Amino acid sequence: MAKVVETKETKKRQEVNRIIRAEDQWEPIGATPMPEITDLRNWDMRLLKTYKPWYAPFCDLCCFCTYGKCDLTECRRGACGIDISGQQGRIILLACCMGMSAHGGHARHIIDYLIEKYGEDLKIDLGDSVAVEAPHIRTVLGLKPETLADLRTAIEYVERELVHLISSLHTGQEGSYMDYESKALHASMLDHVAMEAADIAQIVGFKFPTSVADTPLVDAGLASLDATKPIVLVVGHNPASSTNIIDYLRENDLYDKVEIGGICCTALETTRYSDRAKIVGPLSRQLYYVRTGMADVIMTDEQCIRTDIAEEAKKVGSALIATSDKACYGLEDASERDVDEIVKEMVEEGKQFLILDHEKAGEVAVKVALKLAPKRKKELISEAEAQELAKACRECEMCERVCPNLFSIGHGIRQVAEGNFEPIREIFSQCIGCGKCEEECPRNVPIFKIMQVAASKDTFKVRAGRGPIMDTEIRNVGAPIVLGTIPGVIAFVGCSNYPDIDDVAEMVEEFARRKYIVVLTGCAAMVAGMKKDENGLTVYEKYPPSFDAGGVVNVGSCVSNAHITGAAMKIANIFATLPLRGNYEVIADYILNRVGAVGVAWGAMSQKAASIGTGCNRVGIPVVLGPHSSKYRRLYLSKKGEDDWTVMDGRKAELVDTGEPSPEHLAYVTESKEKAMVLIAKLCIRKNDTPQGRAVKLNHYISLYKKYMGGGLPEDLDLYVRTDKDLPIVYKREAMAYLKEVGWKPKPVLSLPTLIGTYPSKVSLEAVIH
Amino acid sequence: MVLPLHRVNVLTGIKSAKVLEDPAEYAGWIRRAKRPLLVLGPKLAEISLNGKSLLEYALEIAKAANIPTCATAHIKGKMAELGATPDCQYDLVEIANRLNDPEWQGVRKEGNHDLVILFGMRTDMGNQALSNLKHFAPHLKTMTLCKYVYPHADYSLPNFRKDEQWKGFLENLITSLKEEK
Repeated sequence: MAKVVETKETKKRQEVNRIIRAEDQWEPIGATPMPEITDLRNWDMRLLKTYKPWYAPFCDLCCFCTYGKCDLTECRRGACGIDISGQQGRIILLACCMGMSAHGGHARHIIDYLIEKYGEDLKIDLGDSVAVEAPHIRTVLGLKPETLADLRTAIEYVERELVHLISSLHTGQEGSYMDYESKALHASMLDHVAMEAADIAQIVGFKFPTSVADTPLVDAGLASLDATKPIVLVVGHNPASSTNIIDYLRENDLYDKVEIGGICCTALETTRYSDRAKIVGPLSRQLYYVRTGMADVIMTDEQCIRTDIAEEAKKVGSALIATSDKACYGLEDASERDVDEIVKEMVEEGKQFLILDHEKAGEVAVKVALKLAPKRKKELISEAEAQELAKACRECEMCERVCPNLFSIGHGIRQVAEGNFEPIREIFSQCIGCGKCEEECPRNVPIFKIMQVAASKDTFKVRAGRGPIMDTEIRNVGAPIVLGTIPGVIAFVGCSNYPDIDDVAEMVEEFARRKYIVVLTGCAAMVAGMKKDENGLTVYEKYPPSFDAGGVVNVGSCVSNAHITGAAMKIANIFATLPLRGNYEVIADYILNRVGAVGVAWGAMSQKAASIGTGCNRVGIPVVLGPHSSKYRRLYLSKKGEDDWTVMDGRKAELVDTGEPSPEHLAYVTESKEKAMVLIAKLCIRKNDTPQGRAVKLNHYISLYKKYMGGGLPEDLDLYVRTDKDLPIVYKREAMAYLKEVGWKPKPVLSLPTLIGTYPSKVSLEAVIH
Repeated sequence: MVLPLHRVNVLTGIKSAKVLEDPAEYAGWIRRAKRPLLVLGPKLAEISLNGKSLLEYALEIAKAANIPTCATAHIKGKMAELGATPDCQYDLVEIANRLNDPEWQGVRKEGNHDLVILFGMRTDMGNQALSNLKHFAPHLKTMTLCKYVYPHADYSLPNFRKDEQWKGFLENLITSLKEEK
């Protein structure tokens, strides 16, 4: 029996070796090339032992099958046997699979599209400064991708795993919440593989910036588009169509005559392709901008698009072209039809079409915009008009009841009626753009129209996304990050369901000023640039674009998130010389214990954000979420002071009970940006910090605590002080008095802390020594 | 079932809060608890009723019934401005994480709390924390003092249409708690 198993394993391994070209000797192959669902399960269980899933069910029932609905309160089980924890883990896995498949679908589409265009042998070349081109694909698969065909191989692996993961969600499959979580971590690790494959393909296929930090500053803001020109608005994430619009404009010498602006990640992708395109704003400004009617043509691709965008476009007379098979909106497929015929029907009959031929879609968009624009009136309403419209409001509070951000819109509208526009400006900065208020209003007050007087008429500067962090930068900052003298890498990522849209810029400012490295992607990257200081500068104009202390780096779109986690992997590889190849546990363990990186998804809304964040967690990066994200219903929390903080001292091969909760949590929700900033500083602390580095980190932790928590010292300070050398000089006297008061005792400073050796693993302790 | 004000908090389930508006009844439940805990949220510093901040009401309630306080988010700083210090600092999800361990010894090291009163959170996040406690902390009861229905609590106030009603409730609650001393 044992021999049969061995034979099967060998055949499976032979197949893996064939796929990853094992004969290429660029690095030794680690313990888990192309891992299947259970291959990293022990790593997950070790993480989850300290960072236990914390569930806040959004729904007490299960309605997945026809046994139900089943009530799962008070320890009841569903008819299939599932309990409330299992059901939460199941929903989280579902969310992570959805998120991963959205990026996987994006990657598959863009890779196939570019292979069709350039052939599968198109070389992956990310420039002179990026030799470690694909840390995720190298680490997870064990493959060093050289061509588009290799990226397709990576996606085929992701697709294969996805089938197994989705399968486990079916009734009568998985039953343990811990195993659902392990599978969610697996799905989310694969999400980063998919994102990386997608963005590398985009960089080489569309010649996006790479091996450069100083990318152009592009115009941003609702007012950045010149309304006197025809406007094409692109919405979504996939640049296949928007780049074709630009190509058509360039080829036909029309770029001066037509404006192109984007909402959500397509805006970031389009401005990576052409710095003359504009970033209109994040997801939360989508419906608002569509309803202004400023866009002559709206072109959608995929992800995070209003599902009623075709109806909304029609209401304001904007033409609409859908270009993705994932979002067809019931439209007629005109992919095979003649361009001029399509244009004629769109202009004269107001028809909307699905066009899956991206080149054709680009041409149609421009031609329709040129013909339609002269016929359309594009003006925002005046304050006097807004005041008149607002008078219909009776402050019945129905708008407040349906607002996902829970604020009193009616009060602001009534104030407009009185001629006071300040409250509505504040409300606009908190508005996440769902439009439910207007739908619910019994008096049909056009709330979004009234908000036109609240929206800023200013334009801003956002640095275009630059793709991977350069190897040269990693060489420069690897040591100070791991030793702690650069206090941390803070990644502001994800969607725009912010409690207040200004929060991100304010947090970026705080950490850049303190010489953290700040990296951004997606909607967070846009809104960080949509606030000016007293000198009229945005954070992109104030801080250098380098991946270095005090740098503010726009990495790019959603799929560019892989470059952030990839940078942490590169530190392990380039600075610590640990091999990446099929070596996930070693790399994740290194990041967890040594790389002070923290993700901040302050407005996370989507399933993609769930998988991006959970993927960060598996690779050892904690994530801080804003209050909306309590509705994800699962966090990974520890209990400092109680949980097991034992690690192996790698050099002595001895277990050490550090008692140090670093990082304290892996997935965490907090209610205020003030608390978030204190927590972010704390979550950058790692067991590997040198005394000098720890003193720098504690200096910021204490300083932020004093600034936002009303003075005093953090009550858990004693847990993070190993010797008095860890204490920052400026707070030393005060801190020593506190430590004495709470009975603090010195603790060992480890030079090679690792979880390897503390749980069953194929990885030996020798593998982490470098 | 009474609907919450914010639709995002509409209950999808069966076990819902008992909605009470009699301050004496509320005071009775607080008094009956052996080890209550008052969890203070950041909204307490943002809202005032006739010029008196909600935080002041919260501190009066804590004092009247000798209830330990837990400061979430950044409310500790606002408490300091009023010369007050919380008995402990945990964020909302952290205190819920502690409370759902029946072996936890509580803020005063006298055993886990048997009644937790939430006051001053975003309703969506507060309701989520209450959901966690409803499902995973059957050993304790939960209560809210905000002017909204929290379906996942054991005891909740109704959706007060007017702040005067809320103010009246809080003042009478304080009086009741003082009377029962």
